[in-house]
Amino acid sequence: MAGIGFPQQNNILDALPQAERERIYPHLKPVTLPLGKVLYESGDLLRHVYFPIDCIVSLLYVLENGASAEICVVGNDGVIGVALFMGGETTTSRAIVQSAGVAYRLTGRRLKQEFERQGETMHILLRYTQALITQMAQTAVCNRHHTVDQQLARWLLLSLDRLPANKLAMTQELIANMLGVRREGVTDAAGKLQRLGVITYSRGLITVLDRPRLEQLSCECYSVVKKETDRLTRARAIAVPGQQFPT
Amino acid sequence: MDQPRHRAKDRHSAPAGAPTPTGNLLLAGLPSGERQRIIARCEPVQLELGEVLYEIGGRVRHVYFPTSSFISLISSTDRNSRLEVGLVGTEGMLGVSVMLGLETATLEALVQGAGTALRMSAAHFSLELKRSPVLVKLLNRYLHVLMSQLSQMAACTRFHIVEERLARWLLMTRDRAHSNEFRLTQEFIAFMLGVRRAGITRAATALQKRKLIRYTRGNVTILNGRGLEAASCACYAAATQVYTQSMQ
Repeated sequence: MAGIGFPQQNNILDALPQAERERIYPHLKPVTLPLGKVLYESGDLLRHVYFPIDCIVSLLYVLENGASAEICVVGNDGVIGVALFMGGETTTSRAIVQSAGVAYRLTGRRLKQEFERQGETMHILLRYTQALITQMAQTAVCNRHHTVDQQLARWLLLSLDRLPANKLAMTQELIANMLGVRREGVTDAAGKLQRLGVITYSRGLITVLDRPRLEQLSCECYSVVKKETDRLTRARAIAVPGQQFPT
Repeated sequence: MDQPRHRAKDRHSAPAGAPTPTGNLLLAGLPSGERQRIIARCEPVQLELGEVLYEIGGRVRHVYFPTSSFISLISSTDRNSRLEVGLVGTEGMLGVSVMLGLETATLEALVQGAGTALRMSAAHFSLELKRSPVLVKLLNRYLHVLMSQLSQMAACTRFHIVEERLARWLLMTRDRAHSNEFRLTQEFIAFMLGVRRAGITRAATALQKRKLIRYTRGNVTILNGRGLEAASCACYAAATQVYTQSMQ
């Protein structure tokens, strides 16, 4: 995390044409989001949308009994709060900060006004929505059919793509919550990756040592989601000096 | 996006103030001028059971407004690993991705209930979207419903047992078939729910023992709708609520 970054480091804000930028940028407010912060709960009225710069936010679907599973992960490729511009007002998921960092915040009212012009902003947001749909559908089928080992690899890759470095501060407990599996399942899967020399894991910090191998170990769900996201938003690595893995 | 429970009855007595000459509730939600213009652009088609309307990665040539048919949206990782992630009937439309500016399908669309639909070319539909802000607004709300359903499916498949999921799925099918009786092979259900056939057999037998359904030779009859709702996971009621809240 270096300073507050620039709005342009978020792909959606960067894709806006000049006139739209002039209308929106002055109203953006940088906010620092700590790990574990809940931006909204399922059923909440959405007051703000967030455009991540170097943080990652997970959207979790929460069942009645409190169990939850991650349905998608949003970084500088996207925006949190799509239900708002679709006229949903309330959300059906929980948004929780999975990796601390900075995001730009905009009032829901402002975004809605802009969306309702049915201009370029709307098209950009709808294209991103399609990328989210792909991610959600892929996550659903992945949950059903793939092993925890594969899912952990997919999850690490999707997270890393949204971070400026190859490190991720994360507890096994949180990962278990995200994947909706028991903690022991994550411990086993992470242990295997560690023995293969693909990651190191110590004191809540995961470092990826061998990314190509991690991609091999993941199910194809990672590349499906990545391709679709790249196609629909503009793929851009976060420009941070010292980045170790070009995305 | 499950419909209100009284839907099956509504078919015989149209809800007051919302005449649905088209049989599609989404179109019925449009002001009459817009609705007529859109219907004029559509052609009625008959959809056959098992017909594949979209293939993943294939070009989307038409959008569909079901008038008595219903269509499964299927996500897959390969030929053997598939899962139904959405179901579109007379309450919705197939092809919202056109609105999102896409020419190719990201989910497979398979006809699960034979019947009629109104079909429009994707090109005409794009033009209508440019002309009609009301249509865009309505479809955005519908998109919200679809996305809620999708995210719910991801969690539901992870946590809920086959019996609960089967109950939910039969209720969703009933709502779209507008009937308590429909034809379904166990093979097909297994494929949709992404489980082994033996799992479906066990779950169906359990529901049958509780006298909630009757299942013989591929014919499913729902005997006790309320009981089946109680046997379903909470996802059915939750989806019904999102649909009602968003579309009314």
